[in-house]
Amino acid sequence: MSESLQSLSAFHLTGEKPGKDLADIGQLGLRPALFSAFQDMAKLRHDYPLVLVNGEDKETVMWSLSDLTDKVLQEIAPRGIESERLRKHVLGLEDEIRTLVDQGNKGTLLQLWDMAETNRLSRADEAGRKSLGDNLSRARAALGVDGELIGCDGETPIKVLTHAWASVQENKTRRFADEIGELTVKLSNVLKADTMRSEKAFGAEALKRSVGSVYEDAFDFEEMSDILGSAFIDGAVPKKRQRRIRATLSALKSQRFFDTNEDSAKKGRRKDIHGFVFDRPTRALEAFQERLPEIINLIKAMTIARLEIEGRYNEKTHDAFFRKFDERFLESDELARFPSYMVCLRNGADAKAEKAMLTEVLSSGLPMKVLVQSDDILEEPSITSGRFSFGIQGSQLATLAVGLNNAYVLQSSGSALYRMRESILGGLMNGQPALFSIFSGLAGAPPGPVKNAPETPPYLRAAAAMESRAFPVFVFDPARGDDWASRFSVAWNPQAEAEWPVHRLCYEDEDLQKISEDIAFTFVDFAAADGRYGGNFAAVPRSEWRDEMVPADAFLKLDAKAAAEKVPYILMIDENNTLHKAIVDARLVDAAKRCRQMWRNLQELGGIDNSHARNLLAKEKDIWEQEKERELAALERRFEPGTEAIAPKSDAEMPVAEVPVAEEEAVVAEAPSGEPYIETPRCTTCDECTEINNRMFAYDDDKQAIIANLEAGTFRQLVEAAESCQVAIIHPGKPKNPDETNLDELMARAEAFN
Amino acid sequence: MTASNTQCLLKLMDEEYTLNDYKGSPPRWCTGCGDNAILASVQRLCRDEQLAPEKTVFVSGIGCSSRLPHYMHTYGFHGLHGRALPVAEGIKMRRPDLHVFVITGDGDCCSIGTAHWIHAIRYNMDMTVLMHDNGIYGLTKNQASPTSPQGLKSNTTPRGTHLEPINPVSVTLGIRNASFVAQAADWIPEILHDIISEAFHHKGFSFVRILQRCPEFLEHRFDDWVQDPDRMLLLHHKDGVQISPSLAKVYRNQEEHDPTDRNRAREIASTYHPMPVGVLYRNPDMPCYEDLRKADRLYTPDIVKTVLEKELDKFTIHAAS
Repeated sequence: MSESLQSLSAFHLTGEKPGKDLADIGQLGLRPALFSAFQDMAKLRHDYPLVLVNGEDKETVMWSLSDLTDKVLQEIAPRGIESERLRKHVLGLEDEIRTLVDQGNKGTLLQLWDMAETNRLSRADEAGRKSLGDNLSRARAALGVDGELIGCDGETPIKVLTHAWASVQENKTRRFADEIGELTVKLSNVLKADTMRSEKAFGAEALKRSVGSVYEDAFDFEEMSDILGSAFIDGAVPKKRQRRIRATLSALKSQRFFDTNEDSAKKGRRKDIHGFVFDRPTRALEAFQERLPEIINLIKAMTIARLEIEGRYNEKTHDAFFRKFDERFLESDELARFPSYMVCLRNGADAKAEKAMLTEVLSSGLPMKVLVQSDDILEEPSITSGRFSFGIQGSQLATLAVGLNNAYVLQSSGSALYRMRESILGGLMNGQPALFSIFSGLAGAPPGPVKNAPETPPYLRAAAAMESRAFPVFVFDPARGDDWASRFSVAWNPQAEAEWPVHRLCYEDEDLQKISEDIAFTFVDFAAADGRYGGNFAAVPRSEWRDEMVPADAFLKLDAKAAAEKVPYILMIDENNTLHKAIVDARLVDAAKRCRQMWRNLQELGGIDNSHARNLLAKEKDIWEQEKERELAALERRFEPGTEAIAPKSDAEMPVAEVPVAEEEAVVAEAPSGEPYIETPRCTTCDECTEINNRMFAYDDDKQAIIANLEAGTFRQLVEAAESCQVAIIHPGKPKNPDETNLDELMARAEAFN
Repeated sequence: MTASNTQCLLKLMDEEYTLNDYKGSPPRWCTGCGDNAILASVQRLCRDEQLAPEKTVFVSGIGCSSRLPHYMHTYGFHGLHGRALPVAEGIKMRRPDLHVFVITGDGDCCSIGTAHWIHAIRYNMDMTVLMHDNGIYGLTKNQASPTSPQGLKSNTTPRGTHLEPINPVSVTLGIRNASFVAQAADWIPEILHDIISEAFHHKGFSFVRILQRCPEFLEHRFDDWVQDPDRMLLLHHKDGVQISPSLAKVYRNQEEHDPTDRNRAREIASTYHPMPVGVLYRNPDMPCYEDLRKADRLYTPDIVKTVLEKELDKFTIHAAS
């Protein structure tokens, strides 16, 4: 082994930099090479900033600014050269808004739009100002939505989740208010109708009032009251029912789960409505327990109301039922109509402290929606302890929660929230507990002491965590079905089929020739972007680059023996975008292996290259092959010289397509010869036969004719019935009584119907 | 809303209706009248679907057929000649929770009530319309109707009718918004029941023309078809009416017809020999008027009062100041 390779290997194994040749990547300000495309996020059209839509359009809870711009442009700027300027102006404004958000400006979309527009207009020259202004106001008018505009930062997961939760909540409130309102009106109508029919309503005084003073002398109200009163007095609602209806009405009115006041904007919100956002799962659980009796009472009241409205309340059975009505009757789809409880936990430490409680909450089956936001998945302690135990608080929490089996679990990086919006809403809408584990991409130490080193923005860090499989995206939805295939999916990850996602890196060599290379983005690259891991890397000067150096993803695939002769590296760039190779020490490689293993687990659960399926397939293939071989051998034997040619009987062995036997035909009612019968299903209920003899002929439960009692009539009546039956379904058969008169003539007449 | 535990339990406590629960006063129709078969089919449907009698309403116009609501133990509205449909539309608009059935006849529907009929098809409100077509005015004793066969001598046409009869099924199929059109015959009660059941389950205006025998005034109108099953054409489809093996033995003339095929439906509808029976056309996606015009909010008495006050305030006369 040459000296230089020795020093590379030594670093790889020990993490010590013996020679001067190996440089600290922090000192050089190196970043993973694939970051080169993301120097300035404000220039890139990506998922952020995000508009958290408020207002009427509840279908879309959020829009990314670039999607919204595209939508607007599609509406107002048709394809073609004439709209080119308009498109340019609007896209320019989008850039401006993104820059403003990046600089920390806050506000709604329209506020930032106006701010950006002012900036743009002030920079435009005199000639272009008017058309710029016109175009921008056209686009502004076409926006159609407004709401808080947020960039990707530490607050993003909480903001997005609580916003989505609130809009789910608002929909629930509207539906609930409609229902409560309807029940209240209809229930009040029952009482009102009763009053209208009561003696009070038909009393002389009430009648007099309803006529008014002008014609009151023309009537005798006492007399009128007597007449009306006698007609209407019965059927009054019993006192007990009245009490029950009043109690139900008051239970509906006094509920404290939704602000059902239609004019709440005018009269102000109700003060006594329960709150549903908590910072600790314990408190959410306590609140739920506390309110449980109220929930039960309300559901009970709504059920009684519905029965009362339809007049189906039966005191004998329902009284007892509702006396025993308690939480046993609560169902998750009923609970889903009530507000869910939102708990926001910030960073892993919070979650760790609450872990036991969190498990309890998530396995409770109650509508608890928990957000656990991790700000750092590569924490310091795990490094100093010698072994890596990355992502303990973050990604493992979600995997554990999947094991609880009845909680909705969504893990996502902050960068993917927009793409995951439907899944987020899905988790918030059902009545089950849900865990949203989200990596904000916030923390991580600044990379090294080098000045001017560009700081990694949270969006990029979060996206890198997802790309490197350190924090993969997955959704586990127990309501989707009974098996993993329908419940679990990792499909949202970049190149989910692959071990690591592969991207193309283009650069120029010393001779200014373009070179493209496909490189994988591994866990090692993700760690390289974190300043605290500088010590695990060493930049190798170009003169020392050797063939024994292999890319980290390739190195990870080598067995121990082959790996011993190689040193893994990753491509990095400095602030001038010069390419470097940095070798990686063994500890980080170990961590990458563990990360890869966890990702493989998730992949298998998500049905990607599942080992059970693979084994089964191999087994089946073996069986199939053996079978075919046997068949082949049999054929070969048959054609061996000396044996007979294909036996002619094989024709007879050919499977003959089975002709379905119309089994039911045999079932057709056909009485033994001589017995009279009716083809009942064809009877048209025309009364002809029952008119002749309604003891002999009668109707069955479907109101169709049967022979009820043959003894109850004569053969003559049977024959007459057969003759009068218009659909000719009565068959008189042979006479029972040989003594009946004129039998010969009757039998001749019966012949036509037998 | 899905049925929850509570609702299932409550349902268990509900009583079960038998056919007798739907029987009203005894029918006054003639012996041998096809209306009896229709009544029996409708009562069977109500029992099979366990329709709460207080949630079911039969609306009719005038004629023999229109007496049917009297014989049902449900809500009923025996209305004016030709005006069953507008009454039914009003009921459905105000009480979408009720099951609305309309019983009408060839005179009621195709003569004096034609305008309502055409527009009811356009409105496509969710109701089941059974048109008893016997080709004669029976209640008023023997006058020709729009579906009477050409040349029929009656009290109003002593020299025979001069015109070809109208084809109610073809007319209905001709209206753009038609969503369910079927033809049934009272003398094949099995298929009659299945068709009425299909019509009931269709959301929208389900129009069923039922060929109905009148033994009193037009005794031989349908003899050709009643007496010779081979002259009937039974339509069947895997998603609709199916023919039982015993029936298939009697009625051997069958065709598989896809009810979404409107053009084929028109062809079938225009034939008499063989006489088609089955679901001709069905389009479940046609919007219903009551849904299109549904109030976007709940009109409580208070809101109604406020709106009315506001409206009437426009006519307030102020004293000159």
